[in-house]
Amino acid sequence: MISPRTLRNLRKELRSSALAKIGIVLVLAMLLVATLAPFMALHNPTNQNLEENNLPPLGFSRATEETTSEMQNGSLVIKNETVLVNASASHPLGTNSLGQDVYSRAVYGARTSMMVGVLGTLLAAILGVSVGLIAGFYRGRVDDALMRFADISLAFPSLVLAIALIGLWGRAAVDIPDPFVMLGVVDPVRSALGLSTGMPDSFVLPGTVIVVVGLVNWVWFARIARGEALSIREEEYVKAARALGASDLRIIGRHVLPNATTPILVLATIQVAAIILLESSLSFLGFSGTTLSWGFDISQGRAYLSTSWWIATVPGLAIVFAVIGVNLVGDWLRDALDPGIEGEGGV
Amino acid sequence: MSYGRFLLKRGFQGILVVWGVVSIVFMLRFITPGSPVDAVAPLDASAELRQRIAEELGLNQPLYVQYLDYLWALLHGDMGYSYISGIEASQMVFTKLPATVELAVASSLVAITLSIPLGVISATRRHQPADYAATTFSLVGISTPNFWLGIMLVLLLSVEFGLFPTSGRAYGFIEAFRILAAQGVSPGLDALWQWLRHIFLPAVTLGTYFTALITRLTRSGMLEELGQSYVQATRAKGLPESLIRYKHALRNTLIPVITVLGLQLGTLIGGAVITEAVFSWPGLGTTLINAINVRDWPILQATLVVIGCGFVLVNLVVDAVYAYLDPQVVAE
Amino acid sequence: MADEILKVRNLTTRFFTEEGQVNAVEGVDFDVRDGEVFGIVGESGSGKSVTALSLIDLVETPGRITEGEVWYRDAELADEHRDSHPEAVDGDYVDVRQLPETTRRWLRGPAFATIFQDPMSSLNPTIPVGEQIAEAVEVQRRARANPRRTRSRTQGYGLGRLLIDSVIPSRNYVSDESHERAVELLDRVGIPDPEQRAEEYPHEFSGGMLQRAMVAQALAGEPDVLIADEPTTALDVTIQAQILNLLTELQEEEDMSVVLITHNLGVIARMCQRVGVMYAGEVVERGSLEDVFENPVHPYTEGLLGSIPDLEDPAPRLSPIEGNVPSLLDSEMGEKCYFADRCPKAMESCLHRIDERDAPSTLDGVDHKVRCVLADREYDESEALDGATAPEVTDD
Ligand code: SF4
Repeated sequence: MISPRTLRNLRKELRSSALAKIGIVLVLAMLLVATLAPFMALHNPTNQNLEENNLPPLGFSRATEETTSEMQNGSLVIKNETVLVNASASHPLGTNSLGQDVYSRAVYGARTSMMVGVLGTLLAAILGVSVGLIAGFYRGRVDDALMRFADISLAFPSLVLAIALIGLWGRAAVDIPDPFVMLGVVDPVRSALGLSTGMPDSFVLPGTVIVVVGLVNWVWFARIARGEALSIREEEYVKAARALGASDLRIIGRHVLPNATTPILVLATIQVAAIILLESSLSFLGFSGTTLSWGFDISQGRAYLSTSWWIATVPGLAIVFAVIGVNLVGDWLRDALDPGIEGEGGV
Repeated sequence: MSYGRFLLKRGFQGILVVWGVVSIVFMLRFITPGSPVDAVAPLDASAELRQRIAEELGLNQPLYVQYLDYLWALLHGDMGYSYISGIEASQMVFTKLPATVELAVASSLVAITLSIPLGVISATRRHQPADYAATTFSLVGISTPNFWLGIMLVLLLSVEFGLFPTSGRAYGFIEAFRILAAQGVSPGLDALWQWLRHIFLPAVTLGTYFTALITRLTRSGMLEELGQSYVQATRAKGLPESLIRYKHALRNTLIPVITVLGLQLGTLIGGAVITEAVFSWPGLGTTLINAINVRDWPILQATLVVIGCGFVLVNLVVDAVYAYLDPQVVAE
Repeated sequence: MADEILKVRNLTTRFFTEEGQVNAVEGVDFDVRDGEVFGIVGESGSGKSVTALSLIDLVETPGRITEGEVWYRDAELADEHRDSHPEAVDGDYVDVRQLPETTRRWLRGPAFATIFQDPMSSLNPTIPVGEQIAEAVEVQRRARANPRRTRSRTQGYGLGRLLIDSVIPSRNYVSDESHERAVELLDRVGIPDPEQRAEEYPHEFSGGMLQRAMVAQALAGEPDVLIADEPTTALDVTIQAQILNLLTELQEEEDMSVVLITHNLGVIARMCQRVGVMYAGEVVERGSLEDVFENPVHPYTEGLLGSIPDLEDPAPRLSPIEGNVPSLLDSEMGEKCYFADRCPKAMESCLHRIDERDAPSTLDGVDHKVRCVLADREYDESEALDGATAPEVTDD
């Protein structure tokens, strides 16, 4: 599956490409932040504090009109004053309209994005690769039917289909206990670091979203797997194995699948990026099961654009960096492994 | 195979896909929990009333009868009436369609006119500043969610500088021309100007991803094409470099780019849906989201059918162009 | 004595690769005379194809021509450049390498035309064959109509013009006259039904027909020198003969000179008047066909010829001598004769740089040059290098 030659190519490409290094650093950073969110966040991302809403990030201030009224000489005087709201050191990237810490929400948002990106891609890959292998291996009518079905599903843009399915099926979500909180390590560490305690003890996994993004993205995997199956089927050693009476399942598992690994891996990387973008779009439109998501925060920040630009800006930058990272890793894999898929896939 | 026969074959396949699209849209209702009656009936409706509504909607018929009825009606352009407003679904969809088509076409035009020269420059000045700028732009462009880009553009250009309206669509393109014809030059040009001001940000928002994507594809395609031996042979016969670059290499680069664009059309439509949401653009996307939220089945189905068929249609055109550019496709 | 149309001096081409500097062509000298077929023969990797590309200045990065002159006889061109580029002009000759780039480009076609090994990959798969030939005609037509613009930076064809041409499909750069001429040329090279074939695409042609079309394209500029780089290698044996016949016929009728590059000694014997043998980037022996084939001096040439029992029935591939062509990496080339490792007659004096020397010639006025110490001395076993195999006595 991963031969020494492959590894050598990967290393060689990595050495010569600064972009690949940047990509790996970005992806590792994202994964780290997502995993260790309870330690990285400054506050509980869902804690509201209306006293401290719309605080600007460090280095910025926000002007706001304050209206005071008082009785002067028996008549009501209304005064409009411009006051400056200054940043607070405990909220380095500011707070949103509910007084939630923008930075901590971005940290937890990374969890949602990574989980949906990885699990959604996995689901799409399992579905697509199975369909593709069957179609390519058996050819004939099975192939025709499956590929025609793939054509039809391509006719629905994945975002449109995802909106429709989630809108109609509901926004089911699963609460997953946070392992670090369960182990009881979070509070001691945080108080040792002088941070506030009481992080969320569970994490909301938007189940429907994962299933749906998997369902709407399988076609790309099916196409690749089918192509590989079609070509490998004709190889002499596969013919020999068949002649010796090896079962179809065994041939697929032993010969076809391993050969298809490289292109599938490259495609999967591109798909993670696409699915992160798709997830953020869905939660932006309100078609998600969680509120701890970059897209959701952007949609919240939109209403405060003229006064509190950071609420929408910070999570957006997080998406951009995450997706750039994954795309760069994808480019690195593609250049190093050269599986011959250029530019397919996408949101 | 001749070009005509090739198109005929593709057309036939397209019809099959359209039939599949229509069938899947029909089936969507049966893999959805709840009944369409819920959308229509008042919350406290009696069982009797619900029964009557179901009958009215034809939901009591056997499945295949419902299916055939649906197909038959569709063939006559009848997609039912909105459960909410009672407006004819086909009429509703076709009044919304131009806004979306305008948006998609405008952003594709922006994307194509910018990206192809950018990709060519990038490929022919490899490892020079222009190349680095173009590759950086395309990397960031394919990695930026378009709804966020839209919001940032609004923040910068509309909120800060007031250059463009933040949302809405003043006139349709055709409408603006009608004004031009009916009311004279000054109001006509004004309408066109308003149209342009309103569509500018949405088109840029939607177009950026494609600009970035096509730039990337064009660059890598050009690099590959310029390394082919026919390019060297073409140089050997003394052709000017510009001719080799554009007539030979670029043309061949665009062939695979066109295929990818056909496949990416879904992304364009999906992107249009979300761009419409950002800019309150009154198109199919907004209609779709509303219809889903209130379970307005006829509208939802009509929107999906139109989107699916549009996709198939545009891909047919893409296939035709593709086969025209690459004669080997027809031959195979 | 016939005049030289082309005098190549000290042509040196290097490739600057990641692994190091590769000396693909190393100080190559040869002349091509009016109306002759000059053959360059060598194994693959001997630098003969790079030599061809160097002549027409089409070596691509990481390759670069680092040294050398290519003197081409054109009185008009010489007059034109005598004042502006005095160093590039010598009598009626111009040194193509020292001319401005645009002029060099403009010479491709009317001065040098090229036929490549694989016609299928040498033609654009998505443009009809006739149109591609017509392009080659058209570029010359425009050059004649407006030489100034053609030699300007845009070469009379800017992006704006291109856009117009692509919008009006009938134009496509090519004029009707050029198209007619292309059909004529197809007819000239013996393609039946040329009108119809002109509209067809490369994949609709057979290999032999396509190579004929390539020849037609090369004729479009009415070249003085036709460079044919392995023109028959990719073809079936029966078709090879047809293409060679066609080349001979055209060479005589058009009075062109031909530089024929091949690994096939039979082709050389059949086609050429004079020949150069290339090994490891150098021309190791050159002279008239008789001199080189009947009285070879260089042990490499001897070995090549010895590997063929009968010139009428040549072996298609050359690998006559044990060992491989050296890597041509600059770092591994060293000072000694490049053939020394494989040479059965290697001696101590072969360990130093070997310059080209005169060898006995049987014909008046034809040089016979050899890059080997044996040009003016006999093999002496007592000086034999260690490991060198004793020579087999070759008697003809
Ligand atoms: S110079 Fe010496 S080693 Fe080289 S070919 Fe001649 S005899 Fe052989």
